[in-house]
Parts: sequence; C-alpha cells; structure tokens
Amino acid sequence: MSRPLRWLGLVLLLTGCTLAADAPDYSRVPRWTSRAIPEARGEIRREGNRRGVAVRYPGWSTTDYAAFRTYAYDDWRPEPTVSPAIMPSGVVGDPRKGRALFLDRQKGPCTGCHLVPGNDVWPAGNVGPDLSTVGDRKLTDAYLYQQLWDPRVVFPLTVMPPWGVQGAFTPEELVHLVAYLQSLHGPVVAEKDPDRNPFTRRRPVGFGDNLDPTNNPGVLRAEGAEALWQERGSAGKACADCHAGGVQTSMRGVAPRYPHYVPAWGRVMAIEDFLSVHAPATTGRALAVESADNVSLTMLIKMASNGLPVAVDTQSPEARAALARGRASFVRRVGERNHACADCHTTEYAADKFLGGRLLADATTGVTRHFPTWRTSQNDAWDLRRRFQWCMTPLGANMLAADSVEYAELELYLTQFDNGKPLSVPGIRH
Amino acid sequence: MSDIGKVRLRLPSSIKAGDVVQVRCLVIHPMERIERDKAGKIIDKKYNYIDQVVVTYLGKTVSTFDTTQSVSENPYFAFTLKATDPGTVTVTFHDTLGGKYEGTAQITFG
Repeated sequence: MSRPLRWLGLVLLLTGCTLAADAPDYSRVPRWTSRAIPEARGEIRREGNRRGVAVRYPGWSTTDYAAFRTYAYDDWRPEPTVSPAIMPSGVVGDPRKGRALFLDRQKGPCTGCHLVPGNDVWPAGNVGPDLSTVGDRKLTDAYLYQQLWDPRVVFPLTVMPPWGVQGAFTPEELVHLVAYLQSLHGPVVAEKDPDRNPFTRRRPVGFGDNLDPTNNPGVLRAEGAEALWQERGSAGKACADCHAGGVQTSMRGVAPRYPHYVPAWGRVMAIEDFLSVHAPATTGRALAVESADNVSLTMLIKMASNGLPVAVDTQSPEARAALARGRASFVRRVGERNHACADCHTTEYAADKFLGGRLLADATTGVTRHFPTWRTSQNDAWDLRRRFQWCMTPLGANMLAADSVEYAELELYLTQFDNGKPLSVPGIRH
Repeated sequence: MSDIGKVRLRLPSSIKAGDVVQVRCLVIHPMERIERDKAGKIIDKKYNYIDQVVVTYLGKTVSTFDTTQSVSENPYFAFTLKATDPGTVTVTFHDTLGGKYEGTAQITFG
C-alpha cells in the first residue's frame, strides 16, 4: 500500500475505534496518592529557584522535563504547534560537524532511526528511511531544514520528532545536519558486517524457556517470595492465613483477571497496585509498588496462573471507560520527542523495526502476559510499570508514579491484546 | 529461600547415543560468605557452603568438583557429559555442615 493510503487507513481506523468505543472521559478518575517507593513516584525535587531534579531509579537520568507534555490525565497542554521554518542565512553548514551531531547519543541520535554510511555508525535503526544516499535525491536545503525543524509540515502523521520546535537542536546545528545529509552520495559500499545494516541484521533470538529456573533467574526470585507469603506482618497476619492452601492453589486463576476495576478504590488496579493497598490493610506489611517484595510477590501470584488464558474485563462500563482512556494514552504524543506509544509499537509505524539495536515490539500482539519479566541487561525483575517509566526518559517526558491510574489504564489497554493467550510469568528479555 | 537443597537438573530434550550433552543444574543453597566484625576481623565460625559436587553416571563417579565460598548463593552449574548409554545421571551437592542434596535425570535415546 502506498504511504498516503496507509495514513488514510490509520486515520479511519483510529476514528472508527473512537466512535465504536467511547470517547475518553476524564471527569471521574480518582486522585491517587502514590504508594510506590520514592524512586518510582515521579517526583521532582526543587530547592529554591534552581531547576528541578527528577527523583528516579539509581542510574537513571535526573533531568526534569517539566516543559514537555506527559501522560498525566490533568496535563491539558496541547501537542507542539506545527511550525514552518526558514533556514537561517549567514551560517555555513559544515558536513563534519553535521555528522558528529547526527551520531551524538546525547542528541537524537539520528542513527537510532536512520542508516548512514560508516562503520562507526553502530547500531543504526531503520524506523526512518535509509539516508545513505540522500544527497543524490537533489532535495533543496530548505526542504531538508524543514524536515529537521518540524517534519509534520510535510508529513502530518510522521513519527519523526520536531527537533527544532522542541529545541533539541539549535538552528545552527540543523544547518550543519543539512550540509551532512547533502554530502551523502552513492554508490553504497558493500557492508563489512551485515549486522551493521538494520535491513539485513539478524533478528534477536530470545533466551529460551522462561519458566526453567536454570534458565531464568526470575523464577528463583519469585519462589523466594514464598517466605513472604508465610511471614506475618505488623497486624499479626500473613497472606497464608486468609488465602489457605498455598499460593499455587489459592491464587490459581486470580492473575488473568488483572488489571481490573476495583470498586473499593474506585480505580483500575494491576496486582502490584492492589498489593500496595491490600497488604497494609490486612497484614500490616507495606509492599510499596516497585519494591523488590512487591515485584517478587506479584510474580509468585502470577505464576500460580501460568498457562491459563488472560481474561481481563473489557465489557463492564468501568472497563470500557478505562479502556477508552488507555487507548487515548496509547496514541497520545508526549515529551520532547512528541512520541506516542503507537509510534514505536504498532506495525502501522515502527513496530518490528530496529530502533538502534533494539527490535521494537508490536504491542497489539499482546506484550504484557510475561510481566514482571527478568531483564538480562538489568539483572533484575521489572514489572510493566517500570518498563513504562523506562520509556519516558528517551521520550523526554517526566514519568508518572508507578501506581498512577494513567499507567494502570494503559496497562489494561495493552493487556486486552493478550486476552485468550496463556500467562507465562516471569518472562525473560534483554 | 524456603527449600534449601532443592536440586533441579536439566538435560537437552533429545539426545542421541554418543552425543556430548550439556547438563545444567541449580541448587537452592545460602552459600554463606565470610563475615567480618567491625574491626574487619574475620568472624570465626563454621560457614555453610557447598564444598563438593559429585557427578555419577551409570553408577560410576564421572566427575568431582571442589567448590569454595566464592560461588554464588543458589548456584548454577553446567558441565558436559558424553552420553554413551541410557541411564541415570546423579549430581550430589555436599555442604560444610554435612548436608547432602541430590538431583537425578534420565538419559534416554530417541
């Protein structure tokens, strides 16, 4: 299908969805005080008039992206205005400077999405067009400058960020980039290493059986939570006191229904959220969201339902309302990059393509049923919320609290794609 | 961990006679590390860690590994074995407190 036709198709599809389901209604979402660990509350620390410092997990960026739109339901700021630009005269573009900017990991990096020549370009992605010979296309400097400043002027539905509008590159830097692009001419040299080129790169092959404890350290971590299940909290009760017969028996069939609307709290909750309110109320134990205990116990509870099909509620009025908001979040563009989840995680756009060295997952195939998942690159088990929060930093958006209603409803929206497919926790991923 | 000494042994799903197969095993064990007091002196006590792993195949000891405290908690061991005949592989873990934990797996051809 040609590109304009595909866009038209997506527009019709999205409009169709909105009409068929319900328009998102934000008026009855409860305010939520986070029960997450301090690193996971999405807090910004401000001392005096100094710039804010974001409180995040150890090793994560502390940059405060206050200037940019977030997923918060009460963040009504619009997307950045589509903005035509005129290339500044008086700056002479330097292709060498442009190339350095193109590769700069503190900036785009442009190579995350576009292939250009050079064995130091590693690893390049193929979300956007291959630019190896873009100089041969005889595009004008003014056109390329506009593409970099704000490509939405030409391609309204592009996933490329409006770099100039958002201030990610200065006008002078963009002129250097234009000069670099114009310097790229054919013929294309043969690749030394087929993995350099995202179009010929081998696909990652996974890590084998995720439920085998000799293969997935997450299994042992979850089994360790058996002790927690038996241990009495400050109220003198343990989980095992009420849920008799062991985790495997008493929790069988529980996990596939989560996330769901919990009337007592007036909101959608995943198991992690529910544990953070249910455990203190019954056992006296805190079980803050994103604490190691919370994630381990969530895995243990979900493991009791492994093999059972995911079956979240999509029909009750509360579920429909939550799904409408979750769907709206999925296509909402946020952050400095002005990206939506759908930009990277639907096949209409970038799913199944490489972003740098990472193959982007297609969220509509169901990607939640193996969470919490063991991450070999982090040597830790992550639940879906932490994975959401991890996405926020490269987007240039402040993360929300891990147990926010926004994330819970987005999780519900993603989980309905897993309906009918077997739960398999913990997963194992890079 | 709730079950010290639980041993899990894994073999490849299909084995042919004469194959060199990888045996993977995992044992739940605290593998206590050396502790030091505030002055930095090593606390003298009997530390509980696995110090010997014995592999038997077809009733014969085929390999013995001597291990130390430098091995992690809940250790994972992998080694290769030539599958000459169908039969039982047994891996036995001995710890310093006299604990003996055993896992078995059957080698079958087909």
